[in-house]
Amino acid sequence: MTGLAGLLERRFVFFGGKGGVGKTTVAAALALQSADRGARTLLVSTDPAHSTGDILQAELGDEPRPVVAGCWALEIDPEAEADHYIEEVKERIADSVPPRLLTEVERQIDVARVSPGAVEAALFDRLATIVDKDAEGFDRVYFDTAPTGQTLRLLSLQELMSSWIGGLISRRRKVNALARMWRNVAGAAAGEAGDGSDPVLVALEERRARLHRVREVLSDPERTSFAFVLVPERLPIWETERAVAALSKYRIPVGAILVNQVLPVTNGGGFLARRRERESEQLARIEEAFRNLPMIRVPLRERDVVGVDALRELGTAMVAGLW
Amino acid sequence: MSNDDGLWAAVLCRLQSAREIYEGVYMAPYRSAIHREYLRQRDLFFLLGFSDLLGVPNPVQFYTLELYPELIEQFHRWHLRMGMDEPPEGGFRCC
Repeated sequence: MTGLAGLLERRFVFFGGKGGVGKTTVAAALALQSADRGARTLLVSTDPAHSTGDILQAELGDEPRPVVAGCWALEIDPEAEADHYIEEVKERIADSVPPRLLTEVERQIDVARVSPGAVEAALFDRLATIVDKDAEGFDRVYFDTAPTGQTLRLLSLQELMSSWIGGLISRRRKVNALARMWRNVAGAAAGEAGDGSDPVLVALEERRARLHRVREVLSDPERTSFAFVLVPERLPIWETERAVAALSKYRIPVGAILVNQVLPVTNGGGFLARRRERESEQLARIEEAFRNLPMIRVPLRERDVVGVDALRELGTAMVAGLW
Repeated sequence: MSNDDGLWAAVLCRLQSAREIYEGVYMAPYRSAIHREYLRQRDLFFLLGFSDLLGVPNPVQFYTLELYPELIEQFHRWHLRMGMDEPPEGGFRCC
């Protein structure tokens, strides 16, 4: 089995890499290949730039929409997700908060909406829903992720949020245990006892379970793979090296390196031949840097790759002899 | 006979009050220690979950939003206990 086949047969594949190296193009081309080979495939764009719709020349939204037979796509809008969550919280709060406090609480919630981390938290929430719910009915889900930095930040934030919520949960349990002891010794002075269930604890535990489910999926090499897209140039190589090291820190399996825009072998002389010389140095560098990973070359095309036909053609070129 | 009954009742009543006094003396420090610890832990929980209200960055601020309705009444008691008669800057103006 070649690297590409092993990669694409995973249930969840994440495509990452430096901005501008062609993540969206490669992810879309491979999603179409997967669909053409009979797997029901969902392409998910988490990139706020929304290039997936542009490249597929399709109007995409928050829910899966069909692109071609067997292939669906959706674009997550993290800002809209955050707004949506804020609205939900406000609605729930309207029932339980005394009217005199309502404006103040809403003001506080609006502050949280623009606080650092809010958009990432909302994005992570949507990813959890996709893994939990939307992925049902699809054989494969391909994620076109935001540029490396944002993706790594999302992962580290997730780690931090998980352990923070874990801390809140154990703290809350302690509070509840002490509240029970206090009621036992103080009797009526302690006020009324609840029915034993603590809505705060329940909410926190649900939160943690959600974060854990995404975490499990991300770090399960049987189900998930991360593919890095780069171009044969110095900066993307360095950035990808750092990203691969970071992912191994989070125990996330990297499945392949996709080298995009590799010059085709033609008999063009002069300028092109010299470019190809430089490029072969960089390709050697890539092979050396990622020698434990399968490397797949994606040829540079004569024209910009836009639209389903061009993407199919590119995908075919990629998998020729490799599938 | 009825005189004896009255005497016993009086003795039992005194014993009962003696017991209450003893329990009061013995239990009171224990009770207040538990209450103090309960409040301390609860305040710490607030600090971890809502530090943003005191201006300290909170990595899970976005997720603890949904806990506000459950905790808003306690929040008022919290800032009073924290020695702030006025609610902290940036927090709810709850009083």
